[in-house]
Amino acid sequence: MLSFLLTLMAAAIAHAATYTPDDLPIPYLHDKTQYVSNPDGILSQTAVDSLNMWLGQMEASHGVQTVLAVVEHIKGGDTYDFCMALGRKYGIGSKEQNTGLIILLSTGDRAYYILIGRGLEGTLPDAICKRIENHQMLPALREGDWDEAMLATVRAITRYVDGDDSLVGTTDFDEDDRIALLVITLFMALGLGLIVFGLWYDERRKSYCPSCHKHKMRKVSAYTTRDQRLGIIVHHDTYRCTNCFFVKERHWDESMNSGGCAAGGGAMAGSIFGHGGGRSFGGGFSGGSFGGGSFGGGGAGGRF
Amino acid sequence: MKPIKAIMLAIVATISLTSCTYNKLVEQEETVAQTWADVQTQYQRRADLIPNLVNTVKGYAAHESETLEAVVAARTKATQVTVNADDLTPERLAEYQAAQGEVSQALGRLLAITEAYPDLKANEQFSELQAQLEGTENRIAESRRIYNEAVQTYNVSVRRFPNNIWAMIFGFDKKTPFAAEAGAEKAPTVEF
Repeated sequence: MLSFLLTLMAAAIAHAATYTPDDLPIPYLHDKTQYVSNPDGILSQTAVDSLNMWLGQMEASHGVQTVLAVVEHIKGGDTYDFCMALGRKYGIGSKEQNTGLIILLSTGDRAYYILIGRGLEGTLPDAICKRIENHQMLPALREGDWDEAMLATVRAITRYVDGDDSLVGTTDFDEDDRIALLVITLFMALGLGLIVFGLWYDERRKSYCPSCHKHKMRKVSAYTTRDQRLGIIVHHDTYRCTNCFFVKERHWDESMNSGGCAAGGGAMAGSIFGHGGGRSFGGGFSGGSFGGGSFGGGGAGGRF
Repeated sequence: MKPIKAIMLAIVATISLTSCTYNKLVEQEETVAQTWADVQTQYQRRADLIPNLVNTVKGYAAHESETLEAVVAARTKATQVTVNADDLTPERLAEYQAAQGEVSQALGRLLAITEAYPDLKANEQFSELQAQLEGTENRIAESRRIYNEAVQTYNVSVRRFPNNIWAMIFGFDKKTPFAAEAGAEKAPTVEF
């Protein structure tokens, strides 16, 4: 039984380290500064930090959007197919420049690939990709120094990209961010408006006198009781009309919002407000998005 | 009176739809033409690589002249076969595909014999040329895939009712996609 469980566990672990383009984690989507996907922890944190920094500079200065993945195994073992599927799935690189870049190293399959977007064919032709691999990546791979293999590769790619002035960088505050900000502002304004309207409407409703039909009801006394059975606080408010002295009691509890429209309106506004704010802050600012770049099959790969 | 009204209404409705249909068909036909041009560009790119590759291999494996000549001959033959986008009939495409398939096979044999020359394999220029060739084969496969997608979209439009009537009137013919080849595009496996 124990051995069976162990086999199961081993199978689960082995499975976890074999990725398809669909289940490879892409940290960039949650955090704009994370270009490296290192799900098996093959690269050291120091190397990941350096790579992220360099790749971030490359995107800012030349608009080259990179996904660098280091994994133990990929399904099927074909690095080219994996990279193409990844590129197609996410549309890495901007749509205008098509400057997506995918660097993949599968240590268990002992294979690697540098796949370039259509817009990088001039900057990083196949022969140059191969040269970078032969000179920078391979020596370190043969030593099993995964960190150095990736660091040297990205250093070399950066040199070629820096040498190409035709590539346009993204400013920190690009069009997408501006739109996101506009959407947030609109949602905030809408939410705020709803709250104000809700409060105003509730006050107006409470001041309505059913006897003389004027909005002259004023709260004259209020006390709360606690419903032990339901565990809720019940408010008892007494209103008197300043016009016809009609008296009305209103009861409402905090959980059911039975008497308060403001609470309802507020909650509704709050939910919209919270939704708009949360979504935009989660997806617009810290998380990155891919621009829809396409890959024509350029690049080079190999085995070691 | 009633059937006449209905017929007239139908005529008016179809005429008003025609311009939209026609524009869509033109657009999709243009996409097919573009993707076809890209396919040809990628094949041409491969043809351009061949002289350089042959010369490099020659320096190390001069006595493999038969294989080398076969590549050059296949290339010469293939560059003579070009197909215009408005002439994509099954016969023309088959001819084109056959000519390019021969180049693929000849190249496959050439790359197979290079395995026997370690000095050549270690040559930097050869390594980079080989990478370019592999990259180009990948580009060919990708451009063919995109072309086939465009053809499929177009063909569905042309055949769907009522588009098929307008396609017939305006002369939009079905286009031919690439057929999956039985081993022609794949490098042949070598048995020793």
